[in-house]
Amino acid sequence: MPAPLMTYLVIPLVKIVVILAVVILLAAYMSYFERKVLAYMQIRIGPNRVGPRGWLQPIADALKLLVKEDIVPSRAEKLVYFLGPVLVVVPALLVFSVIPFGPAFKVAGHVVTPYLTDVNIGILFILAVSSIGVYGVILGGWASNNKYSMMGGLRSAAQLVSYEVPMGLSVVTVLLMANSLSLVKIVEAQQRSGVWYVFPGFIAFFIYFVCGVAETNRNPFDLPEAESELVAGFHTEYSGMKFAFYFLAEYANMVVISSIATVLFLGGWLPPFPNALAALWASPALAWIPPVAWFVLKMAAFLFVYIWFRGTFPRYRFDQLMALGWKVFIPVSLVNLMAVGLGVLLIGGPR
Amino acid sequence: MRFWGFLASVIPFELAQGLGVTGRFFFKRKATIQYPEVKPVPKDRFRGMFGFSEERCIACHACAKACPIAIIHIQDHFEEVEVEGKKRKKKVLDRYDIDVKRCMFCGLCEEACPTKPVAIWLTSKSYEAAAYERNERLYFDKGRLQSWDGVRPYPGVLTPAQGQLPEAPGGAPAGSAEPKP
Amino acid sequence: MSEPEALKPFPDSEEMEISFGPQHPATHGVLRVIVKLDGERIVDAKPVIGYLHRGTEKIFERETYNGTIPHTDRMDYTAAATNNQGLVGAVEKLMGVTVPPRAAYIRMILAELQRIASHTIWLGTHALDIGAQSPFFYTFEEREKILDLFEEYCGARLTLNAMRVGGQPYDLPEGWTGRCRTFVDQLPARVAEWERLLTANRIWKLRTVGVGVISAADAIEWGLTGPPLRGSGVKWDVRKVFPYDRYDEVAFEIPTGAGGDTYDRYLVRMEEMRQSVRIVQQCLAKLPDGPVMAKVPKVIKPPKGDVYFSVEGPKGELGYYVVSDGGTNPYRLHVRPACFINLQALPEMVRGQLVADLIAVIGTLDIVLGEIDR
Repeated sequence: MPAPLMTYLVIPLVKIVVILAVVILLAAYMSYFERKVLAYMQIRIGPNRVGPRGWLQPIADALKLLVKEDIVPSRAEKLVYFLGPVLVVVPALLVFSVIPFGPAFKVAGHVVTPYLTDVNIGILFILAVSSIGVYGVILGGWASNNKYSMMGGLRSAAQLVSYEVPMGLSVVTVLLMANSLSLVKIVEAQQRSGVWYVFPGFIAFFIYFVCGVAETNRNPFDLPEAESELVAGFHTEYSGMKFAFYFLAEYANMVVISSIATVLFLGGWLPPFPNALAALWASPALAWIPPVAWFVLKMAAFLFVYIWFRGTFPRYRFDQLMALGWKVFIPVSLVNLMAVGLGVLLIGGPR
Repeated sequence: MRFWGFLASVIPFELAQGLGVTGRFFFKRKATIQYPEVKPVPKDRFRGMFGFSEERCIACHACAKACPIAIIHIQDHFEEVEVEGKKRKKKVLDRYDIDVKRCMFCGLCEEACPTKPVAIWLTSKSYEAAAYERNERLYFDKGRLQSWDGVRPYPGVLTPAQGQLPEAPGGAPAGSAEPKP
Repeated sequence: MSEPEALKPFPDSEEMEISFGPQHPATHGVLRVIVKLDGERIVDAKPVIGYLHRGTEKIFERETYNGTIPHTDRMDYTAAATNNQGLVGAVEKLMGVTVPPRAAYIRMILAELQRIASHTIWLGTHALDIGAQSPFFYTFEEREKILDLFEEYCGARLTLNAMRVGGQPYDLPEGWTGRCRTFVDQLPARVAEWERLLTANRIWKLRTVGVGVISAADAIEWGLTGPPLRGSGVKWDVRKVFPYDRYDEVAFEIPTGAGGDTYDRYLVRMEEMRQSVRIVQQCLAKLPDGPVMAKVPKVIKPPKGDVYFSVEGPKGELGYYVVSDGGTNPYRLHVRPACFINLQALPEMVRGQLVADLIAVIGTLDIVLGEIDR
């Protein structure tokens, strides 16, 4: 097989298949994880009937949603109604193409990178692509021809637009420190400097994570699908596989936000204090831990916090949510950006 | 003082406190009862499925009158019976039907029953009364009230043959019918 | 049948009309609220009731006096004991019967446990409406313990049917007082735990402070009773002003709020749970011996006349107006439901606020449709 074919077709295709499979499975099992953790916080035991300890529950759910009748409201805008879930799920999965799950390694002489591609504008790509998802939400909400859906869609649009700004600003602080837009380079910069960016940029980290929670419409910012107000928000009318797509996208987005937070602030696949404790991590007792394991561990911690939030907090009201975004997070992240910029300029940043 | 107030308003301590509460519950013992495998045993006075004893019943209709929703249907007739050489008229029960599907398990019938021990009682500790066909399965005549045809016995249940709990209100005096523990 | 006014269209306005309910996750049953919205702001809200109407008051007229008791269980199905208490109290007042002290104390214990149980449901669902999921499960865990106590006493968990005209049908089972004391003694710690989750929480405060405000004067004008009235700062509690059973023999406070908003009502109810614990503890300590049933005829025939008797239910003043023609059945038995009258203030309380506040206000009024529609 000619080398270019291998490099440009076979390996990427295999990676695409692997990443898609893993991500979809991860999103499905994320629902199991959430139900289980939430149940434990609420002194219940959660799903435990399908398979041992309920491990097959996500599969059963997926099967159920697949075979369920797909109801389209008679007054719905059919084409847009169909497009809604697609527009949500495609960007959510597309983002995974640039997320680095680990460093490059060698298999049988080939250098394999555990990410699909390392775009030099990776973070911009993510911000651009992931914000397309809001179209799916608002179009789906509008096309359902249901007042609750419509309000859910509108809320979602306003929420996503306003929280994208502080989120972007807090991401910029990382870019200032790392001097790159490529996610792989950002992790490598953290390795060089020997310090995770969460320490110099903890305000940015906090803002990023809170905005991430808001971006994924999760509690306490789950207004677009606030059950007690809007029944199910924008996906009230959706059923069957279309509903499953919204569901999948929500969980995939949570994974995305968690992985980006891991990459930007927690050093991606790096172990804690990669330089200061380098000897410890290289010791035979710990050297077997693959870098991907660190990545997954950090991501899981974020996902756990997501669920923890959901188990604890009440929901903001719509105007309070907007006020929080515009009056608190945007000014704070702006000031923080300037402070970090000044720090990078004066002391050269964490290099 | 003002500084601390400001700090508390900026840093969400109280949210962390809330997270602490849910975090602690994460490790607490779970309250779930795995129902079909583990069957909770009701308390002694639990008003469950009906028990009925035809020999105790004197067909006085008190239960039917006490029933707030009139679901007890009784039919009787008089028969001449010979008691100690004398001819007497005695009420004989023809039908004693309870439309269980409409019952609200208030227990007033049991309280109204004048016999000792009572002839109709609810303290059977039974709660699995679901049925696929309510008109057939949840309409009990006097035979089924005594045999509980179709009611599955499970731990704790007292079938009509086992009688009532002596402790239960309106229950049998001790020694009339030994309940199973 | 003419259409309700709120159903008419608005051709020349940008207002949107949404029908909240009767099938909606947050309307506590089958309440329907027709909401006129300008964006998310509520222009007007009209509660539409009657989806759970069962003609209970008409059914009462067909029943014997004791036969009505199971039906009262089903009015406010979260507070069967206080419903029973009101009805038997009314009939006893009409007949001039005094219940034995032990029966009165048992009634008070049951009623206060019921008040705690009802408030735990309220807290769980109210928090759930506002988005906090977990309190629902924590409160229900405690409620289950109360229901276990009820089950042990009278054999039912929800629809108790636990009182009779003239006293109590059964005495307390052996060991019940001990178990009840264990429960009430540990409850304040649990209430404090729920408060740690919510009281200081900034999101909870944002959602409740200044929401659904009703002034003391307005609250009285609307005829509000119970926590919605006390939240506005009016010290009014039927247990204090017209003591029934033996409430004059126990010490307890009436918690009141200041601002009359949702947060105040929340605090009032939380404090009421603690006060109920206090009352139960005192009752258990003072519980006299003796019979539990007064001498009443087997067939209850109150003299001709009419009487109004009310108790402080968990939701507010629950009154019974009994008219007797001397027969075995009530000639007319009217109920003054607390929820029905509290609900009337809903449009006043939500006008000009946001959709999310409507949910908070419905939650804070603590309505039960079984009692509203009867």
